[in-house]
Amino acid sequence: MAGILGILAFDNVWNVSRFLYYGLIGLQHRGYSKSGIAILDKQRNIFTKLENVAPEDLEIKDLNGWAGIGYAGIRNSYPMTIDNGAIVVDGIIDNANILNQVIKDPENAITEIKKPISFIAISKDGQLIAYRDELGLKPLSIGGFGFDLAIISSEPTSMFVIGAEFKREINPGELVIVDKYHIESKQVRIPRKSYCTIEYVYQARIDSIVNEKDIYDLRVKIGEELALEYPINADSVIGVPDTALPFAIGYSRRLNIPLDLGFTRTGSPIRTMLSSDAFLKVVGVQLKLNPIKSAVKGKKIILIDDSMVTGTTLKNTIFNLRKLGAKEIHVLIGSPKLISQCPYGVEVPEEKELISANLDDEKIARVLGADSIHWLSLEGLFRVIGHRNLCLGCMTKKYPW
Amino acid sequence: MKVLLVGDGARENVLAYSLEKSTKGYKVYALSSYINPGINSVVKATGGEYFVGNINSSDIVEKVIKKVNPDLGVIGPEEPLFHGISDVFRQEGIPVFGASKKCARIEESKAWARELMWKYSIPGRLRYKVFYTIEDAARFILEYGGSVAVKPAGQAGGKGVKVIADLEAYLTHDKREALTKSVNEIGSLYNKEGEPRIIIEEKVDGPEYTLHVLTDGKTTIPLPLAQDYKNAYQDGIGPETGGMGAISGPTELLPFINSEEYQTTYDIVKRTIDAIYKETKERYVGVIAGQMMLTELWGPTVIEYYSRFGDPEASAIIPRIESDFGEIIELTATGHLSKAHIKLNEQPSVVKAIATLGYPISKQMASGHMIALDLDKMKEHGCMVFFGSVALEGTQLVTKGSRALEIVAMGDFKEASENLDKCIQYVSSDTKLIYRTDIGKTVEYQSEKAEIIRYSYKNRERRGILGISADWSPNGGLW
Repeated sequence: MAGILGILAFDNVWNVSRFLYYGLIGLQHRGYSKSGIAILDKQRNIFTKLENVAPEDLEIKDLNGWAGIGYAGIRNSYPMTIDNGAIVVDGIIDNANILNQVIKDPENAITEIKKPISFIAISKDGQLIAYRDELGLKPLSIGGFGFDLAIISSEPTSMFVIGAEFKREINPGELVIVDKYHIESKQVRIPRKSYCTIEYVYQARIDSIVNEKDIYDLRVKIGEELALEYPINADSVIGVPDTALPFAIGYSRRLNIPLDLGFTRTGSPIRTMLSSDAFLKVVGVQLKLNPIKSAVKGKKIILIDDSMVTGTTLKNTIFNLRKLGAKEIHVLIGSPKLISQCPYGVEVPEEKELISANLDDEKIARVLGADSIHWLSLEGLFRVIGHRNLCLGCMTKKYPW
Repeated sequence: MKVLLVGDGARENVLAYSLEKSTKGYKVYALSSYINPGINSVVKATGGEYFVGNINSSDIVEKVIKKVNPDLGVIGPEEPLFHGISDVFRQEGIPVFGASKKCARIEESKAWARELMWKYSIPGRLRYKVFYTIEDAARFILEYGGSVAVKPAGQAGGKGVKVIADLEAYLTHDKREALTKSVNEIGSLYNKEGEPRIIIEEKVDGPEYTLHVLTDGKTTIPLPLAQDYKNAYQDGIGPETGGMGAISGPTELLPFINSEEYQTTYDIVKRTIDAIYKETKERYVGVIAGQMMLTELWGPTVIEYYSRFGDPEASAIIPRIESDFGEIIELTATGHLSKAHIKLNEQPSVVKAIATLGYPISKQMASGHMIALDLDKMKEHGCMVFFGSVALEGTQLVTKGSRALEIVAMGDFKEASENLDKCIQYVSSDTKLIYRTDIGKTVEYQSEKAEIIRYSYKNRERRGILGISADWSPNGGLW
């Protein structure tokens, strides 16, 4: 999981470093433990800055240039220096040597890449070269800022944050080259659409448009679908912030059960699942969400979350809700069961760490201390999304690549 | 009847085409700065003669007039109008389609046009300020709040406009810094003794469209709406151009502009024609175009005026007119527009411009390239071809740095657009071709945008606050 970004100004009066910086903050929900920026100046030098910090903490004072790329993620060190330029990658690459050819001969380099990745490179002679894998597993969009900037980004969220206009998603298998004099696009590989389900249910931000869908609408519909599949008689619906809130809204609307804000936040909205450090994970869970007593006391609660990995987070959450007087807690998960790892770089751990790969529902409920637990069905997911061109590897163990 | 056409580009090629097509049997003579292959074939077919020379020079135009002794003049581009070329025709007693030097001021000076709109309280006007020095403009940009459009105070071939939406406080400094730097360039584009160099306007947002109105000074006839696509590159990204394509229709509207808005726009342009007469005491003869935007502030809002046909809008509009447009040009020039009637092909049209690599940033890079096309094959696919910035040198077509070709197809937007993409395959060059495949394919998106804007301006209308806006900043105060 990573957020990648590229910005190019058609006019040298622009210094795009701060645009890259804020653009990356608009992507840090995709990973924030490593971040970096590479920038091209008027003398055609590339300066790179990368650190093990969140994009907000990246020091960019010295960076100045008219084009550049950026990375917010959790693995590798990007931007990576390559022949005549630099590159950022979303996805896992086995052979980094291939990336060296991206600037010289992008089409051939792409045919040699053996894993589904999206990348954005910047060359010393001023080209942004971007590619989205043929499955569309990794999202990539293009936008513009007036007559002045072009922007390519994992999600439109980084365009919104700099005031640019989202234009379209780059097609699976499409290569886009932007320089001062033209924008060229070429379908290098035949698309075999197999969109990442995790993008829909968890990864993308709720103001995003990813894989041809408005994410917010889709997640509200997932909540409505849950209401159809598991209508539970309760007093209140609570979504675990932030990702599960739209699910809760959909569920509440469909069944006319009031929606409550069950938690408030301490600290910044870091994503526990993305934390590389086990200790930080615990801190994240314990610190970030505190339940609100008067919202739950004496009530039968539907608690909705977006996914479940080891169950630790939810177990703690349920414990805290009970302590504050929740009478019953029924857990609904807005995605099908995660039972297998992701070989493409999404942070789904291996099978032995996944509670739903190892225990049946009754045991899981016992572990969590919940009155019941249900997952969105695969069929329900298909109904909501409206097609089956999906990568469901982590839910079915069937991988498209 | 002998007609002398002045101008070089695709717009003049379209005008020549409608003169050739006319049943009135016009003999077309042309004066251009190079031999435009499209105009050339019309000149040959109608038995006229082609003259090459400076189209902005009164002396040269006078000489050609003496030689040809035309019955009618038609002036295509704005530059000759600014240089008083239409006045030369009139002094010789020849009716001419083209605004006088004084009337063409509506396009030549953006500051004059805005002043006129405020003086006569014409709706759809924007707040603006004019600057005589670059330093003052730069200071204003740094000190005042709000989103602004910075432009050369006069017509500069569509170049130099910088539009900045300043909605993110954390990027204000960077955006204003870039703007201040570009003020130098913007200020260098229009530099006339005693006139302001830079105009700064409040920035508005919304779908853009153009309304062309024919007038002989007494009668006015509105033409169907068109929309041009300004960004150079695919998907509406990239630097500003004269227009990389256009759409028109269906009917006299566009899918995102309703008939009430069409009427309001027509009223705005008519009031402007009246105001020009009051200011100059000269009748406007020719075509005036309102470059409009549908905004939350006013609904139909004037971005700027043209004193001639828009290019490429002309290629989208004129081929849709089924009545004898050559004759309508004559009726306009001779003061008989009341006899004219416009019969319209209700089908939409799509235009795509093709340029060579380098346009619009480097004219030099885009110039001097060979270009070749299979005209017959393109016609077979139902595409019309108009020649723009490309000269016939011997038997070769050589690019002159701007948009070389405009190709037109009729039919539903998407279908026509795809048709044009097929036709582009029959164009080749020794360098990369620059064109947009997305033209005509974003109509739905624009309808959605227009609908949102419509809520807001209708709401303003109800509350009686149409056109009322202001910006405030701690350093600059209220503007």
